[in-house]
Amino acid sequence: MKIMNCPLNGPRNISEFVWGGEVKPMPDPAATSDQDWAEWLFLENNEAGIVREWWCHVPTSFWFIAERNTVTDEILKTYPAGDVFKSRVDFAAKAEKQS
Amino acid sequence: MNAIAPASHLRRSFIYRLLAASGAEFGEVNGGAVALHYGGSREAELATARRLGLADLSVLPHGGFKGKGTVEWLTAQGLAIGPDSNVAYKQAGGEWAARLAPTEIFLLDSLAGTGALLQRLNAAWQWAAAAPRPAQGYPMPRQDSHAWFMATGAFVPEMFAKICGVDLRREHFAEGAIAQTSVAKMSAIIIRADRPAKDGRVTPAYHVLADIASAEYLWTCLMDAAAEFDGKPVGLRALRDLEA
Repeated sequence: MKIMNCPLNGPRNISEFVWGGEVKPMPDPAATSDQDWAEWLFLENNEAGIVREWWCHVPTSFWFIAERNTVTDEILKTYPAGDVFKSRVDFAAKAEKQS
Repeated sequence: MNAIAPASHLRRSFIYRLLAASGAEFGEVNGGAVALHYGGSREAELATARRLGLADLSVLPHGGFKGKGTVEWLTAQGLAIGPDSNVAYKQAGGEWAARLAPTEIFLLDSLAGTGALLQRLNAAWQWAAAAPRPAQGYPMPRQDSHAWFMATGAFVPEMFAKICGVDLRREHFAEGAIAQTSVAKMSAIIIRADRPAKDGRVTPAYHVLADIASAEYLWTCLMDAAAEFDGKPVGLRALRDLEA
């Protein structure tokens, strides 16, 4: 079986992991258009080559980031999300629409 | 201790029908019905536990605490918890404090099953009346969410090799090591907690924690995997005898 290295638990069978989509910068929810928001939320680029993705180790619910070559199907690198997201991101709440 | 009917107790094994079908004799431990032995001779059941035995401890007290400040609070309550995650730390009373994550501690009672430590901690924990509340974690009740099995004996690593991808052999999986992994396609937590006898003989022993809703499935899978090595269910008495 294919092995993935979980940054918390070490090398494990790939069946213990689920894919969580590409790592993409989140647009400012208060400023972005509905279309851009939907694209960010639902659409994937599906690049051929090296991609950066969210993966979850299911038995521990541990989310981390993996770099993977989608052409050769190799897992190049895995690391905790904290290596990328180092600080809390706050957004101003969007003003409620007046009806 | 006289045999009791498990159905007469509100707290009983989640798989008591399977255990009873295997010949289990139940007794009361901390107000719940626990499979104490399986009717044969005490020595024979102890020999099974040294070879490959499976026991259901789900009725014994287990729970935990999680959240920011948990480890500091538990340390202040007298627990000894080391710095590493995925390591279980044995407490003075024989309980295990399993550090599943930096701020998540799963507590397993000793096989005496009195629940004294968990009772004391649950009584001591209080949400501060007003903000700002100190970071002290919060209780993580696991008594009715997690089945708790114990596998003992020399053949346990070989049995797990059939249903689990993690190498549990003793030289690779130290005392107190934790594997949060997949067992028989279910998410499960395995903790190595050997049973040392007074004569120095150490029996390999592993706690298995998994979703209670699939307890019958997992027990059946474990029994099926154990059959190849002549593994059999054992009662709490044999587990206690391992340390006698």
